[in-house]
Amino acid sequence: MSDSSQLTYAEIDRTVLDTLRPPSGGYWLVIMVLILGVLVGASCWAYQIFVGIGAGGQNIPVAWGTYLINFVFWVGIAHSGTLISAILYLMRAGWRNPIARAAETMTVFAVSIAGLFPFIHLGRVWLVYYMLPYPNQRLLWPNFQSPLVFDVVAISTYLTVSSLFWYTGLLPDLAAVRDRATGLRQKIFTILSLGWTGKHEQWRHYTRGYLFFAALATPLVVSVHSVVSWDFALSTVPGWHSTIFAPYFVAGAIHSGLAMVLTLMIPMRKILRFEKIVTMKILEAVAKTIIFTGLIVGYAYGIEYFLAWYSNNIVEQEAFRWRAVGDYSLEFWIMVVCNSIVPLLFFFKRIRTSIGWLFTISILVNIGMWYERFVIIIGSVAHDFIPHAWGLYWPSGIEWGIMLGSFSLFFLLFLLFAKHLPSISMTEMKETLDHGGGHGD
Amino acid sequence: MATDISVMGLFPDEQKTVSTIEAMAGYPWTIDQVHSPFPSHRILDALKVKKSPLGWITLAGGILGFISGFSLAIYTGLEWKLIVWGKPVIAWFPFVIVGFEFTILFSVIANVLGLIVLSNLPDYKGLDKYDPRCSREHFGIVVSCEQEDQEKLVDFFKTQGGEARVFE
Repeated sequence: MSDSSQLTYAEIDRTVLDTLRPPSGGYWLVIMVLILGVLVGASCWAYQIFVGIGAGGQNIPVAWGTYLINFVFWVGIAHSGTLISAILYLMRAGWRNPIARAAETMTVFAVSIAGLFPFIHLGRVWLVYYMLPYPNQRLLWPNFQSPLVFDVVAISTYLTVSSLFWYTGLLPDLAAVRDRATGLRQKIFTILSLGWTGKHEQWRHYTRGYLFFAALATPLVVSVHSVVSWDFALSTVPGWHSTIFAPYFVAGAIHSGLAMVLTLMIPMRKILRFEKIVTMKILEAVAKTIIFTGLIVGYAYGIEYFLAWYSNNIVEQEAFRWRAVGDYSLEFWIMVVCNSIVPLLFFFKRIRTSIGWLFTISILVNIGMWYERFVIIIGSVAHDFIPHAWGLYWPSGIEWGIMLGSFSLFFLLFLLFAKHLPSISMTEMKETLDHGGGHGD
Repeated sequence: MATDISVMGLFPDEQKTVSTIEAMAGYPWTIDQVHSPFPSHRILDALKVKKSPLGWITLAGGILGFISGFSLAIYTGLEWKLIVWGKPVIAWFPFVIVGFEFTILFSVIANVLGLIVLSNLPDYKGLDKYDPRCSREHFGIVVSCEQEDQEKLVDFFKTQGGEARVFE
């Protein structure tokens, strides 16, 4: 196992910039497959716009289907990007540096995709501007007491902040690419890097600015998934109306996001030959954090049952009994096993230092977290107060198509990023080296 | 003083750069810029630069955002009154969320704008007196001097263990 402290400045540059060389045919083949997936999703959405929202499987009582599941899922994925880039930066956790750029990028793409789902669920997407506060002849304004309007404000803020954070962090590395490029590529990177030259006046403001970014993004990330949880918790539906929802959702979001970091970093590390930078120690640190978030999520699952029992409310008790043994019990047990039991395997060093196990468990946690949103969003309204209003739901082919499109779009954007922009922050890696001893060519 | 020439001393590590900056205190030349591939607090300390005022700009943005978020929620609530049960039209608790998000949004926008303005970005002219090795593994000290001092300055940088590059 190599250690990143043995690297030199030149080696960091070479390893990262080598990834920007023209890609192979295999890369373009994968890109084409992903574009096909995006086209499937776009066609399904176009069909739904043409025939109406009934093309989805939503019904009464389950009016929020996979569109809301995917919205919450992608917002959750976005969260650990900010955790790694901002919270761990404030805590001076050095192991974040090699994976921070990929995690921040994941955040930007995941939030952008999450933001598409309310549009898709709206049906008449051209009326989305109704959600924006602007003077109009109807004298109509959005209701700022509604959690759905909180969502618009929070997600827009999160997308803006994470994009600016990402771009600001990229500036010195864009300049590094510019300095080695020629021709048109050099011109493009000169414009993108805003003429950055790493002079002390720039660093003086940059380091302060980056610190403030991290300090502001940290409470933001907590607030955004809390706001998402209040979409549910502020209703009176059994299974939703709970005060633990905000911390429960935030922990779940970080849990799924960390798993996605492993899912993305493990193949990227192998394909782009980042083994010396993204060391096993770093993957192990992510795995240990997943144990922690998995324990929080497992505790939340347990405490929900305790609250249902302790409340002595028969509706709550029935909702939670049905979750475990009712029509969606399979989804419930997938959620419990994948999110809170499987991650415990990381307690064994042999497992958390095995690439195969790390990758497999990260996929299982991703699946489990998707099902967690299924259980919460579908299971709660499908079986609420009045037995004659109970009903079941299963996604339609159109919904599966749109979901396929969203996953394809995420991986497509990430692959394009990995081959066209520095996917590891060279600046931050150099900063972590022992000053004066990290040179060589 | 007519400063019609710039000389860049290029150093292979941070330590030599810092010692050169400190050694320059005994000479009449002034340092224009020091380029480095990563932020170096040791260089900033050696240059005795003041802390960036960016925090104040960010704070101003945050205050403006907080006021804007609350004002928007209150104004729209009064313009389109949703009177349901006994619920207040101006509801402080929900409006805290709007105020909070606007605080963060405006702080970050002010932070970025402040960074751009204070760092004088975009700065494409700055590339004229720049060596691309400074984004790789070298540190560059740019000093302005009169034409007749050029030789002395080049020699000084070489004595300090670096190489010199002259920008006309």
